[in-house]
Amino acid sequence: MFARFSILAVVAVLVSGCANTSPVLGSKNINYGDTKAVETVTNEFGSTDLQMIAESMTRSLAQSGILHGRPVVQVYDVKNKTSEYIDTREITTSIKTQLMKTGTARFASDNTDMQSQVDQLKLQNQSGLYKKTTVSKTGNMVAAKYRLEGSISSIVKRSSDYKDVFYKFSLQLIDVESGLAEWMDEKEIRKTTER
Amino acid sequence: MRHFILGALALVLLAGCATPPPPEPGSAASKIVVMGKFKGIAVGAIRVARENGFLTAKVQLSNITSSNQTMYYRFAWLGADGFPVGDEDTWKVLNLYANQATFLPAIANLPQAADFRLEVKTP
Repeated sequence: MFARFSILAVVAVLVSGCANTSPVLGSKNINYGDTKAVETVTNEFGSTDLQMIAESMTRSLAQSGILHGRPVVQVYDVKNKTSEYIDTREITTSIKTQLMKTGTARFASDNTDMQSQVDQLKLQNQSGLYKKTTVSKTGNMVAAKYRLEGSISSIVKRSSDYKDVFYKFSLQLIDVESGLAEWMDEKEIRKTTER
Repeated sequence: MRHFILGALALVLLAGCATPPPPEPGSAASKIVVMGKFKGIAVGAIRVARENGFLTAKVQLSNITSSNQTMYYRFAWLGADGFPVGDEDTWKVLNLYANQATFLPAIANLPQAADFRLEVKTP
């Protein structure tokens, strides 16, 4: 009886000693990395390029002093003039998010949000489903004082030894009423691969 | 005499092992954080100003070698309480030609930033 109890106790100790205490479940080949790290996997447009452009443009615009009194800005999609597929909406979303965090600007519904905005206003005002005191009235949307638009272009050169990619991102803030460009900036990025 | 020599030797060894004194608060050195290795590049003068409500910094960097150097860097922006404000900056690459001196400009991520640290690293 004592021998059986001892064996059971030893097995219990061994099993508890081998229990997995790690908060990780799954393959050891998969790791989470630093989202802010310099990414040089290939020389196509990458996460570091997107982050550097958004950071540089946002700070230049926020610190320029042009955005007095938190003006309303309408953001247009960045024109992709490169030969690559680039989700330029992510560049504008990052710029918009970072500018919003600085508290220097407010943003009007852009071309993709506008339909949802109009649909919601129509639903509230025309469906008769909502309590009148809670309905958002039409004709009160705030028009943009400025529009923000930009473009990204690239020059790609190849030789037997090198591939050189030069990106140029331009962004400008235009006064809607006067049509004048009130602020402009550029960010240049060169990436070279030696074969 | 033998004890004196041994004592002197011990003092020299101890002095050699002593850690350098920490940089004075507010000094240029106190704003630089070396992440592992940082060789061949010297950090010089630092200019800090507040322009249109945002903290701006310019840091002088000099390649003190006769070959081109690459370094990685990012600014960490701190509030008045010494804690980080906003999201972390992206790591960036800076290439310096042989013996080149340059100024690294930066604008704070938020108007609340009151101080900064420059994190640097060479490959």
